[in-house]
Amino acid sequence: MDNEIYKEELMDVYRNPLNKGKLDNPSVSILERNPMCGDEINLQLSIKDGVVSDVKFDGSACAISIISSSLVTEDILGKKVNEIRDYDRQKLLDLVGLNLSTSRVKCATLVLTALQKAIKQYDSGKK
Amino acid sequence: MGTEALKKDFPIFKVKINNHPLIYLDNAATTQKPKKVLQAISNFYSYSNANVHRGVHTLSEEASEMYDEARRKIARFINASHESEVIFTSGATDSLNFVASTWARNNLKPGDVILVTDAEHHSNLVPWQIVAQQTGAELDFVEVGETQEITLNNFKNKISEKVKLAAFFHCSNVLGAMLPVREISKLVKNNGGIVVVDGAQAVPHVPVNVQNLDCDFYAFSGHKMLGPMGTGVLWMKRDLLDKVEPYRYGGGMIDLVEMKHSTWADPPEKFEAGTPNVAGIFGLGAAVDYLTEIGMENIMKHEREVINYAASELSKFERVKILGPKDVNERYGMITFYTEGAHAHDVATVLNSYGVAVRSGHHCTMPLHKKYDIPASLRASFYIYNNKDDVDVLTGALKKAFEILG
Repeated sequence: MDNEIYKEELMDVYRNPLNKGKLDNPSVSILERNPMCGDEINLQLSIKDGVVSDVKFDGSACAISIISSSLVTEDILGKKVNEIRDYDRQKLLDLVGLNLSTSRVKCATLVLTALQKAIKQYDSGKK
Repeated sequence: MGTEALKKDFPIFKVKINNHPLIYLDNAATTQKPKKVLQAISNFYSYSNANVHRGVHTLSEEASEMYDEARRKIARFINASHESEVIFTSGATDSLNFVASTWARNNLKPGDVILVTDAEHHSNLVPWQIVAQQTGAELDFVEVGETQEITLNNFKNKISEKVKLAAFFHCSNVLGAMLPVREISKLVKNNGGIVVVDGAQAVPHVPVNVQNLDCDFYAFSGHKMLGPMGTGVLWMKRDLLDKVEPYRYGGGMIDLVEMKHSTWADPPEKFEAGTPNVAGIFGLGAAVDYLTEIGMENIMKHEREVINYAASELSKFERVKILGPKDVNERYGMITFYTEGAHAHDVATVLNSYGVAVRSGHHCTMPLHKKYDIPASLRASFYIYNNKDDVDVLTGALKKAFEILG
């Protein structure tokens, strides 16, 4: 049986994700959609002195998307923006540690796209 | 209907999915292909391959005859009044774009109304959005209700002499609801409008008689009725054949070409520029033979049993919420549902691990899912080879999904 992607430790993350919710006064806020399935994630970052001081995500999404959002937000919290600039697909998939089928990779990378856009928005706001 | 024997006609059912037999319940997206269809395509390329309506050599004449014969078969299958009413396209999407790009764009003007329902497949919505932008016509919507009667009343409230074109599904690709096409057509036409019907989900499942439906255009796809992908039909009422302009221009559709001016061939050639998908159309002809042999009435009866069983089994789950007509007898081809507390994609992934193929997502109906305020749903859609055992595997796997996903 191939239900590896719903293994128990990850289902715990799904049921009790970290950093789920909204920030009162975020530095950047990105709403990212997956047009293939209708999933939506709102990623918000508070950035102080170039450091991610707080981060939240919210929205309607599947388990894969929620799990990866929880893991990514946990990973970037407290890091310098410069340290997370090179966040890419491979880094995300390594972090999530799942062997995802092609159609489900998009679910995992929804939060990554949001993060990349958030950094871009932060950079352009600084100039 | 002996579905186990039927499954033997389809090579795909030998394929194992995650070590389980394939339970294919995504027929509204595309159906599987029987050997006879695959052989027809292969035979064409192996023994009859030549371009049609071009040469006097043996193979070209043979290919042309096979192509014309397929057209006659399909015309009989939908009871067209004449074979020239059957125009080959690449699918229902192409057929609908055909009408949008020709009749609609050339005839609509500011002040006119294009009427569609709020449950259309994107292929019967987006082309009309573009036509509205191009012509200045206004796009208006009829709400699809719980029953045919309610929907018909909703249409009555929207019909006026301003409605110059109404485009709607025959059978919804999400709700499984059938519209009373004949009654709606009468309403629209009595007020001077043209009727375009998206029949992609109806032709595979019920006997369709285009003369009886009394619409002007009827679009459907070959691949949802055992035929190959890249094949489709636009049926166009005979009195429109000379009024509608060509969709594409080039070889095969001309009568006389001069340096700066050309005239068109007679329909249907006028509407089929370039080399057509001859092998595909020949395959579609074989699919029509296959369906005709079983009989559309028998297919309808068989699907009714399976769908009613599936509806009753699925409604035993408290967390399963079924979309579409409450009366299961008003539902055709599919059951679409969402699962409370579990995302459609997650459920579909677990189902897949048991060999069950269903569709998850918005099924090309984003506005409809917005109306119900759900991001995505699951759709189990059935065809001639599905049976009650398939439903039992589906519900068994669904139970597992709820255990895993909590």
